[in-house]
Amino acid sequence: MNSGVVPISDFQLAMSVILVLITGAISAALRLGLLKSLLWGTVRTFVQLTFIGYVLKYLFTFNNLWLISLMIALMSFVAARASVKRTPNVPQYPVSLAFWSILTSTLLVGLIVVRIIIQPEPWYSAKIVIPIFGMILGNSMTGIALSLDRLYGEAYARAGEIEALLAFGATPWEAIRGCVKDAVRSGMTPTINSLMVVGIVSLPGMMTGQILGGADPHEAVRYQIVVMLMIAAAVAIGCLLLVGLSYKKLFNEDGALKPEILKSRQ
Amino acid sequence: MSLLEFKDIEYLVGPEVHRIKVSGELPAGCVLNISGPSGSGKTTLLRILARLKMAEMGTVYLNGVSWDDFMPASWRRRVSYLAQKPALFDGSVRYNLVKPFELALVKQDVSLNLERAVEMMEHLYLSSGLLDQDARTLSGGEASRVALVRSLLLQPTVLLLDEPLAALDSKSSNAVIDLLTSWLVQNKDRGVILVSHTGDFQRLPNLQNLYLPVKEGGKVE
Repeated sequence: MNSGVVPISDFQLAMSVILVLITGAISAALRLGLLKSLLWGTVRTFVQLTFIGYVLKYLFTFNNLWLISLMIALMSFVAARASVKRTPNVPQYPVSLAFWSILTSTLLVGLIVVRIIIQPEPWYSAKIVIPIFGMILGNSMTGIALSLDRLYGEAYARAGEIEALLAFGATPWEAIRGCVKDAVRSGMTPTINSLMVVGIVSLPGMMTGQILGGADPHEAVRYQIVVMLMIAAAVAIGCLLLVGLSYKKLFNEDGALKPEILKSRQ
Repeated sequence: MSLLEFKDIEYLVGPEVHRIKVSGELPAGCVLNISGPSGSGKTTLLRILARLKMAEMGTVYLNGVSWDDFMPASWRRRVSYLAQKPALFDGSVRYNLVKPFELALVKQDVSLNLERAVEMMEHLYLSSGLLDQDARTLSGGEASRVALVRSLLLQPTVLLLDEPLAALDSKSSNAVIDLLTSWLVQNKDRGVILVSHTGDFQRLPNLQNLYLPVKEGGKVE
């Protein structure tokens, strides 16, 4: 048995167009109107991944701490922007708050993983740091988008209750605490659920990738356990930070609910 | 000295945006009834007095102390607003009565007297059996009476009531007026400001009227 990577030649890669044809045929037969998006998506997949392949090769070769840090900051910014876009309940949310929450949680958890758990030599080894931080970011993005959207959704739905509590003398935090809890829970639920089914229902991408790359399954599993737990921690911290930074934006300087939140009640 | 005095409060109301400028005062132990045509900004004024909405200009004084000298939450603890359609929390009626007493500022100066709550409920034709009922199943009239009991239990210095009789029949309305009367008699250092379309409140003790005409400043009659 070959324990190394089975390489994919250019010709073999081109053959993957067969898969696009199948998807395209389904879209055309059912007139799903997805053909254009499918083709554009396919082109982008090829271009973006080829490009990132070169970037990673460059980063791995030079293994420069500053370049790696820059890359992580850039990835965090893109993740923050993407997560804010996925929140239909939240009007004009500043990307900066999402950026700082996602960057802080990623750095905190990522550093624990590389410095205390994996301990590569050097500790900022790009081969370890970039994929690890990338996985944290990819998952935190979904979590914080869910929790931010839920925070606003709950505030709209429960504006009357929040205002009643304020009228009794509650601080904004006391009045919104229930919504904050629901928001953080909503951001964390998919991650907790995935902890339950991993390995039974799904084989995670990273583990699959390592196995395809020739790694021993036991080794791949060990990495995957660390990855799952680090994602859970990062999502929890990211959601808590973002919701903690965001809830004050629902109130005016007098600590009363802003009119746009109340309007939804009428 | 007035219990609550508002000076040159300015705010905007309505889709056509009228600017309202109003002053008035509430002596201790009294009731101030704010009336005026629909769209004259009565509810907005109550919400401003409760600091749930910001005024464009003006100052409100509680026992001579400007609202700027209070933390907003601390002001709202004293000058408490009850909406026309009061919000009840998910849970039983009992939970609704208990919940505000978990707030730090409330805990500091008053504790829940459940016997008193039951007394007040019974006075308003709400049986004590209602305590364990899910608050979401209450009718509009029941919900508004439960909310009034809840607000009175918290002993605000000034209670701001927005159309408190709107959802009530005449029997319950009379009971509410009686309850407010006895509350004021027992608490001479407190007061009530209310917005009402009906003349039912005219028999409340020490009633004063403030009329808010549209487009012009209101003044105490």
